[in-house]
Parts: sequence; structure tokens; C-alpha cells
Amino acid sequence: MELIVALGLIAFKVAFLIAMLLLLPLPLTWLERKIAGHMQQRMGPMRVGWHGLLQPVADGIKLLTKEDHIPAEADRFLFKLAPILALAPPFVVFVAIPFGESVSVLGHEITLYVSNMNVALLFVFAVIGIEVYGVIFGGWAANSKYAVLGSLRTCAQMISYEIPMGFAVIGVVMLAQSMSLLEIVRAQAGVWNIVYQPVGFFVFFVAGLAEAQRIPFDLAEAEGDLGAGFHTEYSGIRFAFFMVSEYAIVLLVSVLVVILFFGGWNGALVPLPPLLWFLLKVAFFVYLFIWFRFTFPRYRYDQLMAIGWKVLLPLSIANIIITGVILGAATAP
Amino acid sequence: MFFADFATALTLTFGYMFSRSVTMQYPDKEKWLPYARYRGHHFLKRDEEGEIKCVACELCARICPCDCIEVVPYEDDKGNRRPAKFEIDMARCLFCGLCEDACPADAIALGQQYEFSSFSSRDLVIGRDNLLGKPGKATTGGGVVAARLNTEQDVLVVTSAPHGYNWWRNIRRT
Repeated sequence: MELIVALGLIAFKVAFLIAMLLLLPLPLTWLERKIAGHMQQRMGPMRVGWHGLLQPVADGIKLLTKEDHIPAEADRFLFKLAPILALAPPFVVFVAIPFGESVSVLGHEITLYVSNMNVALLFVFAVIGIEVYGVIFGGWAANSKYAVLGSLRTCAQMISYEIPMGFAVIGVVMLAQSMSLLEIVRAQAGVWNIVYQPVGFFVFFVAGLAEAQRIPFDLAEAEGDLGAGFHTEYSGIRFAFFMVSEYAIVLLVSVLVVILFFGGWNGALVPLPPLLWFLLKVAFFVYLFIWFRFTFPRYRYDQLMAIGWKVLLPLSIANIIITGVILGAATAP
Repeated sequence: MFFADFATALTLTFGYMFSRSVTMQYPDKEKWLPYARYRGHHFLKRDEEGEIKCVACELCARICPCDCIEVVPYEDDKGNRRPAKFEIDMARCLFCGLCEDACPADAIALGQQYEFSSFSSRDLVIGRDNLLGKPGKATTGGGVVAARLNTEQDVLVVTSAPHGYNWWRNIRRT
């Protein structure tokens, strides 16, 4: 009986996560277009529903009923595989993400995470590394020059930025003495990591922008010079898969930034429910992503590489060394 | 300073996010009322007795640079020279307003209507009676007014408001 309840709970949590991640892009696209519109003194969607609120639903219906076109010269197997490869990793990663400690429902304590891994951070980086295959295969399989150029750029970009991203969190791991995301948040109950790790946060956030392929690092799509980059040839639901994956990664990077550097569900000043605190912080970072998108131009390819290797990597290594030295000095007898 | 330009850019876009939108929700919510000087669709005027003012002198047809006006005169029962046929080919008209300037009887002018697109250029040849019914010059133009779409009528967008808000004041200049 205990086992059945536990399994049922896990199944429910997983189903809830999947539903949430599939449905969240709807309000996010609406928000993004609305914010874009207002930043450009437009109105954004206004016609479908109140202030265009049903616009994402209309877009969804359009994408579902659109012709699923595969180019004649495309590698059909990889072409079909790529959207799934792009979509699955961000979903899988959320298994390891805690959204809070626990809530009590009907006398039961229900934890707000699917699993509390002791190497959650490692798991996150390992799984999110797979996501690049979706983009690379998608660009390659379409057999279009724009798509190939887009995925070539992505390939180099992802690999370059995963290194500083991985190094940036080492400082956090040193402070928490654990790779479990739950422990990392618990370690920030007093002071948030942003106070000790401003450089780590900076490197992580910039690399996160690049990992999510958002402006100013959206060279993989670069609608100005590559059509639509790696998903130029995709249409209908396969294109929607890439879009959902992009929003899931935006969400994931926001969640990671909050957990690693902004105290997770630890509140400050105002006593709010921990989950609400967490969601508010995540919402702020999602907004920041959208805000950046409509403020900054895209970096040139060589600038992108220069930032990754010449700025972020040395900064993150220096951050590790300095954190280590200070920690060593502080804990020395 | 390091990243100061980034901060400036972000505050600028943030400020714009809360500034007024310049979108004019034409045609089903708002519409631009043209200024009084606007040269839109032609209209023919009537005098106090309701008689058409035009004396069919054909000066407008002569001065028209694109030759889009065709006038055929006749003598009505009072013995006045009037147009039996007064056709303007709107597909060819360039809205220069020379016909208005040339008219000795103050009978033709370019009014405020600008919604007369058509699927067929044949429908754009407008006859005398049609021209008499067209809206005249705008009196209080220059603004955005509430309007609604009307697909049945000749006039596409109907509005009852005479005054509009000045759209230009919405434009933020920094």
C-alpha cells in the first residue's frame, strides 16, 4: 500500500510537470509578444480574446493543423528525431528540480520535488548537454544551408558556454558542500549566494542566456541572417516542439539561477509562502530574458566566441580559485 | 563604466514598456479622421435648391492631368447646362485637386473619404449620382476616433464622433 501511494504520487508529480511544461509556453508566448509590443510602442496581440489572451491557443491550433512538411532531400529519420531530442532533455531535467520543501495535503506531507538526487546539479548539466543534439541533428537533417549554418554555430556555442557555466556553479557547490539542489537552497537560508558569488552569478547567467539561445546569443536562429537557423525547414507540430523546448530551457535557466544564487524558496523581507517566493523570483528572471531579448542586438559570431573563451572562462576559473582560497582561510584552524 | 550602457538600454526599453502605444486599431475600433485640407474621394455639391452646382463646363476634365474625368452636358427643363454624365475613374485619379481649383461653379471638391478600395477597377468609375452622395470635406479633422467596421455600407468604417484625440501626442520622443 505504501509503495502504491508513493508510486502514484511520483506518477502524479511527473504528469503534473509534463503538463505544466507543455502548457507554460502558451502564456509565455503571449507575454513575450505583449512585452515586445509594448517595448516597441505597439500593442501586441489584441484580437483573439481579451487583449489577445487566446492568441497562443489560436497559434497552437494553427501549428497542429499545419502541413507537416519534410524537405525532399532531408534525412527523414534524423529530421523526425531532432524535435524529440530537443524537447525531451529540458523535461527530464525538471525531475531533479525542487520547487520547495514540502506541503501538507490531507495530512500527508508531499515533497515539492520528484527526486532529491545527491548529484542533482551534475544530472542537470549532463542531461541539458544532450539538448544540443536536437539542434544539431535538426539543422543537419534538413539539408538546408541556413539550417546547417545555424546548427554549426549552435554546436560551437553550446560547447563553449557549457564550460564556464559548469565552472560558475563550482563556487556554489563549495559553499553548500553538496551538489544536491535541495541542500544548496538550505545552505542559503541565511544569506543568498548572490552575495558571495556575484561573479559566479554573472558568468552563469550570461552562459545561461547562451545555452537558451536567446538574444544577445541567439546565433543559432538569427532570423536576420539565417532565415530561422536550425529550424528553418520545420513546420507545424515539429516546429512547436522546438519552441516548447526553447521556453522550457528559458524556464530551466531561470529556475537554476534562482536555486543556485537567489536563495530558492527562501524569502526575504516580506513573509510569503515559500513556493510563491520561488515562483516570483523565477518569473522575474523569465521577464529578464524577455526584457533582454527586446533590448539588445545580437553578438557577432567572433564576439560570441571571444566572450565565451576570453571573458567568461577566465572569470569563472578565477572565481573558483578565490572562493577556494577564502573558504580555506575561513575554515583553517 | 562597465556595463553602464547595458543599464541605460534596459531602463530605456523598460520606460518604453509603460509608454503609450501608438497603434491605431483600424478598422474595427479606431479610425483616423483626416484634416480639412485632406484630398480624398471627390464629391459633387448641390446649391440651396438642391440642384447640382455643376454647370458641365468640362474645365475639370480638361485640366485633369490623368484624364480621368468624363463630362457630358445636357440642358435641363429650366434651361441650365448640367452634366448628364459625370464620371471619375478613381483608379486613375492622382488626387492632385486641380479639378477643385479649376471649377468655376465650386461644384467639385475632394472630400475626406479614403476608404474606397475595390476588387475591380471597373467599380472605381464613379458616376454623377454616386458623387453627389459622397461625404464632403472634413470640418474638425485630424484625430483618431472610435469607429466600427461596417462591411455592408459603401463607407467601410463608420464613426459618429466628430472629434478625435491627437494621435501624434502619443509618440514618445527621447
